[in-house]
Amino acid sequence: MEIIIASLSLATLACIVILIGTRGKPVRFFTATRDVLETLKLNKGPLFSTFLIVVLVLFFLFYFYTPPAAQIGPAQPIAFSHRLHAGVKNIQCQFCHPYAGQSIHPGLPPVEKCLYCHNYIIAGHPEIQKEHDYYNTNTPTPWRKVYYLPEHVLFNHERHIRKDIACQACHGPVETMDRLQGERFKMGFCVECHQQNNANLGCWIACHS
Amino acid sequence: MDRRTFLKLAGTGSIAFASGCTANPEKTLYSLVNAPDDMVTGQPAWYASTCRECPAGCGIIAKNREGRAVKLEGNPSHPINRGKLCIRGQAALQDVYDPDRLKTPLLKQNNRWEEISYIRAAAILKSRIRTAQQKGPDRVRLISGVAGETLASLFSACMGYWNAGKPVWYEPYAFESLKQAHKDIFGQPALPSYRMEKADFLLGCGADFLETWLSPVEYARKFAHMRRPGQGRKAVFISIGPFQSLTAANADQWISCNPGSETAVLLGLIRTALERGKGTRLPEPLSGKAREVSRPYTQSKVSELTGISTEQLTRLAEAMLRAESPLILGSATAHIGEAAYETDLAATLLNLVLDPDASLFDFNRRHRVESANPRQDTVAFFNTIVTDSPDLVLIHQANPVFTLPPGHNITEKLAETPAFVISFSNAMDETAAMADLIFPTALGLETWDEYGGTTGLVSMLQPVMGSLTQAPAIGDVLLAATDGAGTGAATYKDYLISRLHDASATDPAAAWVSLIQQGGRFSQTEAAGTAPVVTPPIPSAANHVADALSAVKTVHDGKISFAAVSSLRFWDGRGANKPWLNEIPDPLTKVAWQTPVLIHPERMEEMHLMPGDRITIRTAAGELTAPAYDYAGLHPDMAVMAIGQGHDAYGRYARGMGLNPITLLAPALAAVSGGPRFGVNDATLTANGRNQILAHTDGSRIQHGRKIALSVDLKDLHGEPHAEKHGLTMHDFPLTLPTEEGYDPKRDMYKSHSHDTYRWGMVVDLDRCIGCEACAAACYAENNIGVVGETQIIKGREMAWLRVERYHDPDRPEKIIFLPMMCQHCDNAPCEPVCPVYAPHHSREGLNNQIYNRCIGTRFCAQNCPYKVRRFNWLEWKWPAPANLQLNPNVTVRGKGVMEKCSFCIQRIKDARNVAKNENRDIRDGEVVPACVQTCPTGALTFGSYMDKSSRLNKLVRDPRAYQVMGYINTKPAVIYLKKITQII
Repeated sequence: MEIIIASLSLATLACIVILIGTRGKPVRFFTATRDVLETLKLNKGPLFSTFLIVVLVLFFLFYFYTPPAAQIGPAQPIAFSHRLHAGVKNIQCQFCHPYAGQSIHPGLPPVEKCLYCHNYIIAGHPEIQKEHDYYNTNTPTPWRKVYYLPEHVLFNHERHIRKDIACQACHGPVETMDRLQGERFKMGFCVECHQQNNANLGCWIACHS
Repeated sequence: MDRRTFLKLAGTGSIAFASGCTANPEKTLYSLVNAPDDMVTGQPAWYASTCRECPAGCGIIAKNREGRAVKLEGNPSHPINRGKLCIRGQAALQDVYDPDRLKTPLLKQNNRWEEISYIRAAAILKSRIRTAQQKGPDRVRLISGVAGETLASLFSACMGYWNAGKPVWYEPYAFESLKQAHKDIFGQPALPSYRMEKADFLLGCGADFLETWLSPVEYARKFAHMRRPGQGRKAVFISIGPFQSLTAANADQWISCNPGSETAVLLGLIRTALERGKGTRLPEPLSGKAREVSRPYTQSKVSELTGISTEQLTRLAEAMLRAESPLILGSATAHIGEAAYETDLAATLLNLVLDPDASLFDFNRRHRVESANPRQDTVAFFNTIVTDSPDLVLIHQANPVFTLPPGHNITEKLAETPAFVISFSNAMDETAAMADLIFPTALGLETWDEYGGTTGLVSMLQPVMGSLTQAPAIGDVLLAATDGAGTGAATYKDYLISRLHDASATDPAAAWVSLIQQGGRFSQTEAAGTAPVVTPPIPSAANHVADALSAVKTVHDGKISFAAVSSLRFWDGRGANKPWLNEIPDPLTKVAWQTPVLIHPERMEEMHLMPGDRITIRTAAGELTAPAYDYAGLHPDMAVMAIGQGHDAYGRYARGMGLNPITLLAPALAAVSGGPRFGVNDATLTANGRNQILAHTDGSRIQHGRKIALSVDLKDLHGEPHAEKHGLTMHDFPLTLPTEEGYDPKRDMYKSHSHDTYRWGMVVDLDRCIGCEACAAACYAENNIGVVGETQIIKGREMAWLRVERYHDPDRPEKIIFLPMMCQHCDNAPCEPVCPVYAPHHSREGLNNQIYNRCIGTRFCAQNCPYKVRRFNWLEWKWPAPANLQLNPNVTVRGKGVMEKCSFCIQRIKDARNVAKNENRDIRDGEVVPACVQTCPTGALTFGSYMDKSSRLNKLVRDPRAYQVMGYINTKPAVIYLKKITQII
C-alpha cells in the first residue's frame, strides 16, 4: 500500500514537472531539452511549492495509513496480548469472556479475575503492577474499544455461540494478534453470513430493535 | 445561480453531509474491578422491593441492567397489586435519576446555601441533637410521611431516646373523615380494605378508588374483577357527586348532584332501605338512630336538596335493593364539599343497613395510611414549633409548605421558629428551601427497609441499584446520630433484620434471603383473604351518628364551589418533578404540563369563554389565574383544579409549571374529624381576557361517527348473534383478522402476507380499560421515548407510542369511553406502501417494523396512518444526566429526523424467543408480555399470536364484542378491541 502511494505520488510529481517545463507539450521534452530546463529554472518558485505540497501529502498519507497502530490495533491501558493468552497458552475465549454463551454481551474480565492467575504468574511484571494499581484504587480499567457495532444493532452473542459459530468468524484470528486491530462491522458482513446459513433475516426480529 | 456558486454549495453541502454522518460511538470499554455475583452483562437482574410513591405500598420488581435500574414492574406474588403498577409507580424511577437531585447536604449560612460533606452534616445533626437533649424534654420535633412499621418504631425509639414526644405522621391525604366515621360506627379509627371484587353493586359518593383513594392498583384490580361480565349481567357501579372524576367516568352512570349534597342521597337511600325491610338485624340503638336521622329524607326532599330527579332516585334505590351484595363508598381522597365526614358516616351506616355483617369490610387487612395523623395534628405541630420554641425540627418525606393551604402560614412558621430545621429531602422543594440544613437521604429504591401496605403484611425494600449519590439511609442517619438510640443496632439493616428475624425458621440466614428474594412475607396475608370476616362490635352509643347526620347542611345556595382534587399523576405534588407524569396528559382533559380549571360548558358560554381563555378564581384565601377547560362532568356551579403542580421550588420539571389550587383553599379544618377541606364555597370567577393555548394531545373530544371506540348495551350483547351478511360499508364491514384467512378477492388487490410460526397481535378490552394511563407510563419507561415538553406538545409533537384516547358521547358528554391506541400492526398497513425507502416493513411475524436507519423523514407514513400512532422526531430529545442512565439498553435511542412508533416491545419478543430457542421449542402463549400489558391494573390488554389456535388471543377475538378500530378502511389491524359494555339502571 505504502509503495503504491509513494510511486503514484512521485509519478504525479514527475508529470507535473514535465508539463510545466514543456508548457503543456510533453513531446518537447525530447525535442528541446535545453529549452525545457531553462523554463524549469524560470519556474523555480512554483515548482518548489508543488514539490512541497506533494511531500506533505505523502507524509500525511503515510501518517494516516501506515502508523504501527493501524496494523496492530490501538495501545491498551495494559499491554495485554491476545496472541499470548488465546494463542500460546491456549486459554479458551469464554474463560475471560464468560457470558458469551449465555447473554447478549460476552462480558469483560474484571481485574480481580486477571489477578487470580497473575498473583502467581509474572507477579512482579510492571504491567501486572498496573493491574494491582487498578485493583487497589478500585478503578475500572478503561480499555480501548476495537470492535464497533452501530448502536441500533443488538447483536446477541449467545445465539451465535450456541450455533457453534467460532469467535474468530467475526473477530478474526485474535489468537495471532498481540494488540487487536478490531473492526467496524457493516451490515453486509452480517447479512452475507445470515444468507449463507439460512439464518433469520427479519429486520427487527433478527438484529435491530 | 451561476455554475460556480452551484459547485461551491454542492461541495460545502456534501462535506457537511459527510462530516455530519460520522457516528461518534463510545471509545472506551470499562471492565469492573470486582464482578458482582448477580450481574451478567447483557442480562437483567431483578430485585424485589416495595413502591413508596404513595402509602398503598405495592410490591415491585426492578429490572437492573449492568448495575442500574431501568424499569419497574409490579411484583406478581405481592398480594396488594399482583404484578401491576399505576402510572406513578412506573415513574418512581425518575426520582432516582432526577437531574436536579441534591448530591450533597446543603447548609444555610447567611441566607445562602453552602455545600457541605455528609460527614459534616451528620456531625451537625449529632451535636444539635445532643444540645437539644441536654436542654430538657420535648426539645426535638419530628414530622414525617407515613413510614413502615420498622422505620416508624425507630423514629419513635429515637424520639423517646431524645426525651421528645411522638413523631407526627403527615400525609396530605389522610382520610380523616373515613377514619372518624369508622370510629363512630365500629369503635376504631380504622381503614379496612374492601372486598370490592365480591360486590355486585357499587355506589360511590366521590371515592376515587381508581386514582388515589387508599390503594388504587388493588381496587382497580378488584373493580375489574367485580365488573367482569357474567351470564347476561354485570355488576353495577353508580357514582354520585358534583364532579365526574376518572373513577366516576368509569361508572355505568354518573349522577350529578349539588355540591355537598351526597349525604342527603345516602340518607334517602337509608330511609328507603329501612322501609323495605333491610337492616332488621342491625343492633337496636343504631337501627333506631338510623331510622330517626333518615326520617326527614323522603324522595321529594332528597330531590329538592340534591337536584337529582325523583325517578332517578327511585331507579337508584331499586338497583341497590336488587343487589345481593351492595357496597357503598364514601367521599373522595380530596373530597369536595364540607360534608365529607357526614358522607362517609352515612355511607358506612348504609352499608350496615344493607348488610349488618359488613362482610365486604376486611378488618384483617387495614390500610397502612390509617397510621397518619389527622390534619389538625400537623397544624398543631407547626403552631408549637413557634410557641414552644424547640431546638430541633426534623422534616422527613413531607412538603407541608406546598401541600398545606397558605392560611396555615407554614413558611412563616418555619422562618420564625428558633429551632434548627433539618429537612431530609432529596430535592430543593418548598419545605427544604425553608430549612437550615438539607440532608439528602437515600430514596426508597436505594435502601433496606420494610413497608407493609396493609396490616399483617411484611413487604421488603432493598436497594435495587447502587446509589448515584452518597446519601445514607434515614435509619442509618438517626442511628449514627444517637449512637444506636438504645436499640443496640449498628446499622438500620441490622435493626431491620433483628425485627424481622424469623425465630421459627431452621435457617434464619436462608429465611432472610428468601424474604428479600420474594419481596416479603405474603403467605399469611393470602390466608387472611379467605379468613372469616371480623367485624368489630358495633357500639351502642350511636348518638354521634345521630348528631352528625341530623345536622347535615345540604342547602345549595348557588354560589360557586371551588374544589382541588387529588391527581392521578402527581398525587399530592410529589410527582410533579417527574417528566413522564407531566408529559402524559391528564386522563380526562388530555392536557399535559398545565393545570387548567374545569368549568361547566354552560358557565363557559355564560361568561363567553373559549377553552384556554384565562379566568381568575378568587376565594377568601387568594386568587389564581388559570386557563379554562370546558368539562361537562361537573355541576354547573363548580370549578375544579387538580392538585400537584404550581411549585415555586423543586426540580426543573416542576418549577413554574402549572398552578397550585391549594393556594385557594381555606385553612379551616373540619369540625369532627379534624381533617382538611379541599373545597371552598365562595369562589368567584372573572374572565381575564387573555388566552393560553392548552397543551392537549387529543385531536377531538368526540368520534365524529367514525366508529373508533364502540360500546354495546348489556341487553343487546346476549341478544341476536352478529348478522351473517356482510357488506363493505362502514356499518356492515366484517371483522377481518390479519391472517391469511383475512384475504378476500372482492376487496383485496394483493394476497395477505404469509407469516412464519407467529402472527403477533393484541386484544384490548374496552370494558376493562379505566383510562389510568399506567400503560402509557410503562411504554415511556420501556422504549426510551423522548419527553418533549409543553411547547412541543402544543405543536403536536408528543412522542407517546401508546396513548389513551378519551371520547365523549356527543349527545351525553358525561358518557366517556377510553381507548388505548398504539400501532395496530395492520396486515394491510397504509404506512408501508407510501414510504419511498421501504422503512416501514412488514415482518414474517406480522410486525410492522420501522427501520430507523432507513428512514429519511419524509413523514408520508404518518400522513397515511389513520390511527395517528406514528411519531416523528422533530428535534433531538434530551435526557439530562443522570436521566440517560435509565435508558433501556435493548432499545435504540432514536435521533432527529426519524419516524418511530410502537414495536409491540420487540425486545421482549426477542427475549422470549431467545429462551424458547435455548429450550428448542416455540414461544408459548403468554410468554411475551409487552410493557403495557404487563402493567395494566385491570388486565384490559392481552398479547399473543394469531397462528397459535389455542391462544387466549384467539379465544378473545371470537367474543361477540370484538371489532377493529376503523376496520372498514380494510387495514386489517392486528389489535382487536372488545366493545365497552354499558348498562342503564
